Amino acid sequence: MEELKNLKYIKLFSVSLLIYAFIGGFLFDVPALPILNESIRVLYFHVPMWFTMIFLLLISCINSFYFISRKKIIYDTKSYTYTSVAVFFGFLGILSGMIWAKFTWGSFWTNDPKLNGSAITLLIYLSYFLLRNSISDEIKKAKISSVYNIFAFSMLIPLIFILPRMTDSLHPGSGGNPGFNVYDMNSQLRMVFYPSVLGFIFLGIWISKLKLVLNVLKNDN
Amino acid sequence: MLKKIFNILYKDLKIDLNLKHLFLSVALYLVSSIYIIYVTFDFSEIYEFDIWISLFWIVILFVSITSISKSFFHESHNRNYYYYYLFSPSELIVAKLIYNFIFLLILFFIAIVFYSLLLGNLFLSKNFFLLLFLGAFSISNCLTLISAISFQVKRNSVIIGVLSFPVIIPILKILIDISKVSHINSSWNVIENDFYILILINIIAVSLSYILFNYLWKN
Repeated sequence: MEELKNLKYIKLFSVSLLIYAFIGGFLFDVPALPILNESIRVLYFHVPMWFTMIFLLLISCINSFYFISRKKIIYDTKSYTYTSVAVFFGFLGILSGMIWAKFTWGSFWTNDPKLNGSAITLLIYLSYFLLRNSISDEIKKAKISSVYNIFAFSMLIPLIFILPRMTDSLHPGSGGNPGFNVYDMNSQLRMVFYPSVLGFIFLGIWISKLKLVLNVLKNDN
Repeated sequence: MLKKIFNILYKDLKIDLNLKHLFLSVALYLVSSIYIIYVTFDFSEIYEFDIWISLFWIVILFVSITSISKSFFHESHNRNYYYYYLFSPSELIVAKLIYNFIFLLILFFIAIVFYSLLLGNLFLSKNFFLLLFLGAFSISNCLTLISAISFQVKRNSVIIGVLSFPVIIPILKILIDISKVSHINSSWNVIENDFYILILINIIAVSLSYILFNYLWKN
C-alpha cells in the first residue's frame, strides 16, 4: 500500500525528534519566570498537542472536501481516521493543560476563551463521531459526515484563531498567537519547542497512517 | 431564481398557515419555558441584569433549535421528490434561510414580550431589538444546514441537538457578551470587534450552506 511506503522514515524522524525534545525538555535550562517557574516546561508538550490536533483536523477537512468532489470512499476513511487521532491529541492537550492549570492557577478549569475553544472543538468532533455512528449506509454516512466536517471546521476558525486573540486572559501568550507569544520565548525555549512541535506532528501523521491501513482492511472485509 | 425563491417562501407560509399546530406548538414551548423560569424564581422580577439576559438567550437557544428542526422535518419524503424536478438546491437553501430567519424573528418578538411581561423589562431599548434581529439572523444561518444534515438521519430529534450545540455556543457567547456590554455602555466602540466576528461567522455559515447543500440534498 502506498501509505506504508514512507512510514519508516516518518517514524524514525519523529522518534528522534521526540527523544531530543524529551531529554531537552526535562534537562535544559529554562528562563525563571514568576509564577510559571519550572512548570514552563509543559510548553514543550502541551502546545505541540494542539498544533498537532489542528494540523490533523485540517488534513481531515481537506480529505472531506476531496470526498464530496471526487466521490471515492477512501477519502472519507482518511478523514475519519485523521479526525479520531486528532481528537486523541486534543484530549491529551486538555489533560496536560488541566494538570498544569491546577498547579499554576489553582483550579483545573477556568472560564477562558482558549479553554472554551478547546472544549467546543472536542464537543464538535465528538458529535461528528455520533453522527457517523447513527447512519448505517456507507455512502450516505460518508457524504453527510463530510459535509458536517467541512462546516464544523470552518466554524472553528473564528473560534480558535480570532476570538482568543481579542480578549485578555490568564493563559500565557494572551493577546497574540493562541498557543504562545513569539516575543515571550527566548532562544533557549525555541531550541526545544520547534523540534517538539515537528516531532509530535509527525507522530500524529504516523499513528494516523497506521490506523488508516487498519481501517481500510476492516472496510474491505 | 428570485421568483422561484418567492414561490418556495409562499408555499412554506401556506403550509404553516394550514398546519397551525406547527407554529403554535413552538410558541407554546416558548411560553411554557418562560413560565417555568418565572415559577422557579421566587420573586416575580429578576433584578440582576446578568441573570436576566443569560436566561433570555438560553430560552432563545432551545426555542430556535426546536423550531428550526421543523423547517425540514415537516416536508414529507414524497414532496421532496417533487422538489427535485422543480427547484435547484441553491434556490431551496436560500428560501429556507430566509424563511427560518423570518420564523425566528417572529418567535423572538413573542419571547421578548412574554419575558419582559413576566420577569420585568430591564433592557428594552432600541439597541436590544437590533440585537434580536442580529441574533435571529446568525442563529438561523447557523442552524439551517445542521437541520438539513439531521433530516438525512433516522431518529433525528436527538441528533439535531447534539450537532447544533457546539456550533451555536460561540454565537450565543458573543450575543450575550454584546448585550451585557451594551447595557452598561452603549457606544459602538465597545461592541465593534464582537460585531465584526459575528458578521464573519454569518458570512462563513451562509456561503458554506449555499455550497454544501448541493452535496447533501439528493441521495
